[in-house]
Amino acid sequence: MNKAQHNSGDPELGLHPEPIAASATGSLVLHGILLAVVLGWGWAMGLFHHNDWGSQGEGSTMQVSLASDALPLPPTEVNKNVLSTETPSPAPAPPTPKPVEHIDDKAIPIASKVRQQPQPQQKQQPTQQKTQKNQPQPQRDNLAHYGEQSGSAIPHGVPKHGNFGPAQVGDSDFTSMFGWYVNQINQKMSQSWNRYEVDPRTPHGTRAFIAFVIHRDGSPTNIQMDRSSGSPTLDRSCLRGAQRIDTFGGLPPAYNQSTLKVSYYCEY
Amino acid sequence: MKAHVRLLPLFLLSFLALAACPLRAQDWVHTGTNLGNQRIRLAVADFKPVGAEAQTPSLKATFDSTLQSDLAHAGLFDMVSKSMMPESRPGSPQEISINQWSSMPTNASMVTFGALAANNGRLIVYGWLFDTHNGANPQILAKQYNEAATEEMARTVAHRFADEIIYRLGGGINGISETKIYFVSSRSGSKEIWAMDYDGQNQHQVTHLGSIALSPRISPDGSRLAFAALDRGGWSIRMYSVELGRMIGFPAGVGGGSNLSPAWSSNGAKLAFSSSRSGDSEIWVASASGGGLHRVTTFRGPDVAPTWNPKTNGQIAWASGRTGLPQIYTMSEDGSSVQRITDGGYAVSPSWSPSGQFLAFSWNRKYGPGDPGGNDIHIIDIASKQYLQLTHESGSNDFPSWAPDNRHIVFERRVGHRSDIWTMLSDGTDQHQLTRSGNNFMPNWSWK
Repeated sequence: MNKAQHNSGDPELGLHPEPIAASATGSLVLHGILLAVVLGWGWAMGLFHHNDWGSQGEGSTMQVSLASDALPLPPTEVNKNVLSTETPSPAPAPPTPKPVEHIDDKAIPIASKVRQQPQPQQKQQPTQQKTQKNQPQPQRDNLAHYGEQSGSAIPHGVPKHGNFGPAQVGDSDFTSMFGWYVNQINQKMSQSWNRYEVDPRTPHGTRAFIAFVIHRDGSPTNIQMDRSSGSPTLDRSCLRGAQRIDTFGGLPPAYNQSTLKVSYYCEY
Repeated sequence: MKAHVRLLPLFLLSFLALAACPLRAQDWVHTGTNLGNQRIRLAVADFKPVGAEAQTPSLKATFDSTLQSDLAHAGLFDMVSKSMMPESRPGSPQEISINQWSSMPTNASMVTFGALAANNGRLIVYGWLFDTHNGANPQILAKQYNEAATEEMARTVAHRFADEIIYRLGGGINGISETKIYFVSSRSGSKEIWAMDYDGQNQHQVTHLGSIALSPRISPDGSRLAFAALDRGGWSIRMYSVELGRMIGFPAGVGGGSNLSPAWSSNGAKLAFSSSRSGDSEIWVASASGGGLHRVTTFRGPDVAPTWNPKTNGQIAWASGRTGLPQIYTMSEDGSSVQRITDGGYAVSPSWSPSGQFLAFSWNRKYGPGDPGGNDIHIIDIASKQYLQLTHESGSNDFPSWAPDNRHIVFERRVGHRSDIWTMLSDGTDQHQLTRSGNNFMPNWSWK
């Protein structure tokens, strides 16, 4: 009795070939049907998809509606810039021209009067909207939260979320004539001020006022504390933020003074 | 058989149950607050063609599209789309009506416009930048260009005008429109160094060695290109003179072992690179002419890919495998004050930002069993160790390189078997592809 004879079905040895052919075929057929059912069901249910974007099934377009006729859509965060208006644009609408009193460009601005501006600028502040970002964030690894101020200040042209006050510059004519330059000062300061340097126990809303002078080439000098916020870390971080800046960009050519005085506040 | 038949419906049911679980690939949605909200809203008007020369329309089309693309990718502006602009095409300050541009639907705060003419083979362009909210004194910039009338110069003039606008409105930082990117490409058959404009135009081959050339690094003054080349003696650092158009000597780069990944200091005086001539690959520093060669690191484990702090030139960041998987470290230029930057995963290819504040590098945070695969570009603030992931689930991203304006990063993306050069803003937005043919690796942005 050797293996060679095993399947030959020698009746003399009492062996019969096992009729596996029918069941093997049946098994294969059933497995094939099963596979076909599964794949067919999957295809019918749309499980093989290329583009999943949108709702289930065929994919519908997203319905959007404009909140108002005004385009572009207004920013989600209130711009606390005192120069801001209802129209979402960084440059303010020029003020109504004063009838007679036109400031002579050749007149030298009086330094002491110039820097006592903080009061009117606070009056014009729109109500602050504290979003959830103003609350202290729970420490989460080293991850900079995308889009939030508590991350590093990524240098692109967009000022980070935060409450960075405007600059109050030279004389009021400058802001109306060169609103874009004031916007640039705001952007550069907001990029270079590191919020994480400030002690987290500092109450939100405290402001540190600094003053500096911008020269023709845009470089700031005479950076000094104008009014302390009461928090030494906030004061120091605001000063350091201004010291870090190499240049704000050259003063506008149409501005014919050699320097520009700026009063700036950093709000925590 | 009967047993099989009884089990079959059970199998079918269980399959159906499993198949009912939805299978969805992960889509990535970019969102955030206050992104692009306060960008300057800029309208780029089509320039007005002057004269009836045959060349003018095509030159104007090149000029317009180049100017539009430069300003759109600068990362500073919220561009007004063409469909919202007024029909008029002002060619001079007398022809423009500011109110048209500041009112709805355009609502632009800045508008750039001008006139273009091709006369007697000269391309003459007048360009203005106006502040639409200042009716009394709107002019911010007025520029005039007079160059040869070719497509190349039309692009160059557009780049220069865009740079002026970006310099004026971007806070005194030079625009990158005339910078170049050096990279490795295998499209000629062997891996050679190629160069292209920052927007992917004008791709041309620089070296013709016939062997493998990697890690191109252009010098700060743009005169010399250092790279690692494979020849009979192994890997060595070679120097190519862009001005002379041929290879020049760099004795420090040939010294035995594998010499890879050169890095220039920002004053062009020194070159750091990784060399294994002492047995273990360490960071060595030499002067730009090849003298003064000395070793800076001494630890076991591979030390590769150095990059200098371009602000101070007193620090070097590099990738070291001294603890196992490669991590990013910084040290002083003399090798002291070694500090570890990354806390795990697989981190390679550091690149120091021009402001000195950030490191961009390629990081696989979940390296190991079960790793979904793929490196991503991250930037980390060195002082606070806070990091930001810039690329997500789009192939394997490596070899980041900062642009000199601190606002853009160029990198290599490998998807499947294809590698290409991509560029993006330094917050991860506006990613777009620059190369499309062959396989392209290891980009390096020029310094100016």
